[in-house]
Amino acid sequence: MLSNKSISKRELLLLVIAALIGIVVLPCLNAFVPPASFFHVSNFSINIYGKYLCYAVLAIGVNLLWGYTGLLSLGQALFFSLGGYALGMHLMLMIGKLGQYKSDLPDFMVFLEFIKRFPETGGLPPHWIPFRSFWFAAAMVVVVPAVVSFVFGWLAFRSRIKGVYFSILSQALTYAATLMFFRNDFTFGGNNGLTDFKFILGHEINSAATKRGLFIASAVLLLAVYVVCRWLTSTKFGLIQRAIRDSENRVLFSGYATANFKLFVFVLSGIICGLGGALFVPQVGIINPSEMAPDKSLEAVVWCAVGGRGNLLGPILGAVGCNALKSYATHSFAEQWPYILGGLFIFATLFMPKGLIGLPAQLMEIKRKFTRKNGDAAPQTAPADVAFESATKE
Amino acid sequence: MGESCRLEIRNPCSFLFIHAFLVLLHLAAFASFAASPHRTNLVEAVLSEDLARQTDIIKSLVEANDPLIEQALTAWRGGSLYVLETNDTKTPILLDPVTDAEGSAKAIRLIDGEFVKGADGKPLVFAVADLTAADATSKLRKVIKATLDLFALGNPNPAMRRDAVIKLGQEQNPDYLPFFETRQKTEQNLEVVKALSEAVATTQLLSEDESVRLAAIGRLGTMRSINGLNFLQRLETEAKAAPAKYGEKTADALHKSIRDIQDYIQWGNFFGTAFRGLSLAAILLVAALGLAITFGLMGVINMAHGEVIMIGAYSAYVTQNVFAKWFGASGRGFDCYFIAALVVSFVVAGLVGLILERGVIRFLYKRPLESLLATWGVSLVLQQIIRHIFGAANVQVNSPSWLSGSFNVSDVLLGYNRLFVIGFAVFVVLLTYLLLTRTSLGLQIRAVMQNRHMASALGVRTDRVNMMTFAFGSGLAGMAGACLSQIGNVGPALGQYHIVDCFMIVVLGGVGSIVGTVSASLGVGVTNQILEPWLGSVLGKITVLAAIILFLQWRPAGLFVTRSRSLEG
Amino acid sequence: MTQKQFILTLEGVNKTFDGFKAINDLNLYMDEGELRVIIGPNGAGKSTMLDIITGRTRPDKGKVEFGKDTDLTKLNEYQINRLGIGRKFQTPSVYIEHTVFENVWLSLEGSRTVWSTLFSRITSAQRERIHEVLKTIGLVDKAQTKAGSLAHGQKQWLEIGMLLAQNPKLLLVDEPAAGMTDEETAKTGELLMSLAGKHSIIVIEHDMVFVRQIARKVTVLHQGNVLCEGTVDEVQADERVIEVYLGRKKKAA
Repeated sequence: MLSNKSISKRELLLLVIAALIGIVVLPCLNAFVPPASFFHVSNFSINIYGKYLCYAVLAIGVNLLWGYTGLLSLGQALFFSLGGYALGMHLMLMIGKLGQYKSDLPDFMVFLEFIKRFPETGGLPPHWIPFRSFWFAAAMVVVVPAVVSFVFGWLAFRSRIKGVYFSILSQALTYAATLMFFRNDFTFGGNNGLTDFKFILGHEINSAATKRGLFIASAVLLLAVYVVCRWLTSTKFGLIQRAIRDSENRVLFSGYATANFKLFVFVLSGIICGLGGALFVPQVGIINPSEMAPDKSLEAVVWCAVGGRGNLLGPILGAVGCNALKSYATHSFAEQWPYILGGLFIFATLFMPKGLIGLPAQLMEIKRKFTRKNGDAAPQTAPADVAFESATKE
Repeated sequence: MGESCRLEIRNPCSFLFIHAFLVLLHLAAFASFAASPHRTNLVEAVLSEDLARQTDIIKSLVEANDPLIEQALTAWRGGSLYVLETNDTKTPILLDPVTDAEGSAKAIRLIDGEFVKGADGKPLVFAVADLTAADATSKLRKVIKATLDLFALGNPNPAMRRDAVIKLGQEQNPDYLPFFETRQKTEQNLEVVKALSEAVATTQLLSEDESVRLAAIGRLGTMRSINGLNFLQRLETEAKAAPAKYGEKTADALHKSIRDIQDYIQWGNFFGTAFRGLSLAAILLVAALGLAITFGLMGVINMAHGEVIMIGAYSAYVTQNVFAKWFGASGRGFDCYFIAALVVSFVVAGLVGLILERGVIRFLYKRPLESLLATWGVSLVLQQIIRHIFGAANVQVNSPSWLSGSFNVSDVLLGYNRLFVIGFAVFVVLLTYLLLTRTSLGLQIRAVMQNRHMASALGVRTDRVNMMTFAFGSGLAGMAGACLSQIGNVGPALGQYHIVDCFMIVVLGGVGSIVGTVSASLGVGVTNQILEPWLGSVLGKITVLAAIILFLQWRPAGLFVTRSRSLEG
Repeated sequence: MTQKQFILTLEGVNKTFDGFKAINDLNLYMDEGELRVIIGPNGAGKSTMLDIITGRTRPDKGKVEFGKDTDLTKLNEYQINRLGIGRKFQTPSVYIEHTVFENVWLSLEGSRTVWSTLFSRITSAQRERIHEVLKTIGLVDKAQTKAGSLAHGQKQWLEIGMLLAQNPKLLLVDEPAAGMTDEETAKTGELLMSLAGKHSIIVIEHDMVFVRQIARKVTVLHQGNVLCEGTVDEVQADERVIEVYLGRKKKAA
């Protein structure tokens, strides 16, 4: 069972292997194996994998809410993007005079004539100024999603908004935020967002070594997030989290202020998503409002649904798998991708309630039923729930 | 004459016939005024060299109610009135608009409207190049124009008459006053009467006589003349610059009249906003009602609801195309398409809803969050299907003629399409109300809404009720889509624009309550429209969303609460 | 009435839902350590009364006090629970994905802040206490079983056990015998009776055999009001009660 207090040896071993592959093996294959070799991992691949890992972090954030606490938030892509914007702002200021307009200001500020709006700062909006410091930006990657999720969560949980209402309202929040960021006068680049980054911490952002470094950072982040969530879900807090998912009122009538627990998880998830977004942005080189649109949040939910929610591996599997499929599909038959994504979603929710992770157990259950039915006219027991229960007993 | 251009000429025979007919008509019209003193005067003016005399004559022509004179003056001003010189006699002529193959045309004499004939009695033809145009100095042209404008006061079409009066009034030319006053005595049409009195007052604003000026200012104020506001304001600026010239009374009167008119305009804006808000609310209502019903009944949020709306709009588009094929792209037959489109979109969207319920949603009744996700998958698929069939670009849905145009109620324009939508929403709400309260299906729906298990135990076939309700709710969404096609763009993303608003309305109104849905739609629609001019559409929308979230702090279950007794209610 | 110390006081409580008077000028006084059974036909307002005591519903007016002067109408569910008022719901509500042990652990009295749940480890004293509770409800050998796979009666007991773990001053028990076999019902009755004295208990019940087994004092609710109070025999002999339950026509007044 996943609520085991201690980490099993098998899990630890798996974790170490996965960490080694992510942090050591793949980067080495990229750096030291000659391109002609079969084992070489190209710069392009490393970049793509790094992106997948960031998405996996996002998926863990979604899962922490949905799978463990029963809160289906359709706003996690917003926090992901807020983290991304926070770091993106720093990267914009690091471009220096290498932009199209050869100005110290980011291109879009020149283009939109910010000098007229903010003459006393030479065109740079005042709230951009501290982002010259990397460490300030890094702090904001955590602080901004945390504050936004805290305010929204506090309002929502205080008034006991739950279930689909919570989903819809989080979607509305995301929608509103997207509209805001689309506006040019919101000072975050409007439609085009932030792009054309050149340097991160003094390194050229497009060099192979930087990309490798970012990949390793993503892998480390994912590992760290995994470990934190693994710890969290094994504490008494984790028990209460799942108790809220299964019977919130019982928890409330047992003397727990469920709103505080939900708020804690919501803020934590927001921070996790923000961190994922911050590493995502330098790897893809752009962040714009379409990245935070409600549809993106829903896509992240698909990953969880496909991979299997309510445990920690499922979302990672789902995020990497779905995005690999997406990269392949949008290359080979872009027109059909919405059909595939939509179909995947319908299929997963209808037929694979526990996702890929739960699939083996589900299949075994079907097989057992089948053989039993054939064997004798046994009474029909084993309702669907039992299948799902056994799926989590690993 | 212009009519002849629009007639399609099918064969030479009918062409001849039409031509002959036109010529007859033409002659009859002009000949009847033969030898009127005005025509004689006009001829004199054309041939005269004396500007003062010319001016006098042209001014006097205002009283001539003669189409030929109007035509001649227009031609003179435009440089296409000619003087035919033969044997020392000068004859002013017009060229017939019907030209022959070489571009030559018959000449019409001003004096009697007859064609100029040759010795054989047949009309002669002339080429423009061979003729000398009658002179018209710029000063003269101005005079001609004034006369022509004043002619418009006698235009038989009241709308054109009114426009002419307004235009003349705004010139503030005291010379026109007598003409206005003459016209005022005989004018029957109320709008023209109003325009005349407005024109007189506007012109009199410049009067040196204080009492006349004050009366004019007062009259514009009491008339709430929006056209006069500009002139009043201009005068106010002048009066401030030279208080001695105008005096305190004028300033006071101006101040009062301007304030009256501005208040009036503000009210007009307010009602206009309220009207637009109401029509937006009506659309939201029709769109959200279906969602509210299905959500109330099944606890299922249908994320594909927006796409069902879109399918309704595309159904209207297809219906339009079919009608255009059958009846042509305009005319009465085509105009009926929209009625058919409403039915078609209801049926098509209802079918889509039916399939959706049978195929996906019924497996997920106990898992509302997952049904939300599965239906989102459906929405992706539906959007892509539409893109495949109709392309990603917007399609053009034309309004039937009875939906284009608008009412003018005390300077507020009420578009027919928006009026229709409001009426339609009222109809739909009534229909839904009757369905829920007066039919056996409605009774079953309400029973299932209150207690699914109990209803099922009492023999209500809950899955059939689900199916029917879902189909009905989707059908309503489809009709909302058809209505939207009359007001905005129709494209594959149509549903996405409205779905968030619909959700908010359901959340705000409380689940499964018609009253709640109606009031929430009104609230959101009107607030949106009120905020839009101040904040712009994006900020307005955001403000509404924020307001809803804050509102839920106060009433977490929406405006109208339904309650249950179980623990996880 | 003398100025005696009640553990629970309801005075002049009213609650209306959409024009329906669920609770109508209700007065109820509970002594410390008392086991009170409340009966009444459907819609008499029994569950609504519990909702009002536990903060799930706010009364329109009236006094709801716990102990000397704690006003319950101002507090919300978890605050009321922390005062020592535990409630068992009509349908068994336990955490089906958690083990029996974990179910009891989560209900154990002690700090309930986010912080404490993150960093506290289970102590041996707590283990002992959980064991003790499990023994009381007879589920020791099921400690590591998922609550979802317990039998219905066992779930009911588990929920009572969860209440006990909180060590509440006042227990509110809503239809504990519903859906139980006769044997299970009898056992539940014994359990409740053994708890009385240490705790004050309100039991809502329909099953008259069960009521007879446990009740010392019975309150009959009807249309949101107290119809009568007394021993089981007194109540059963009361004309009005018979009328309400059996729908007998009113005798000439």
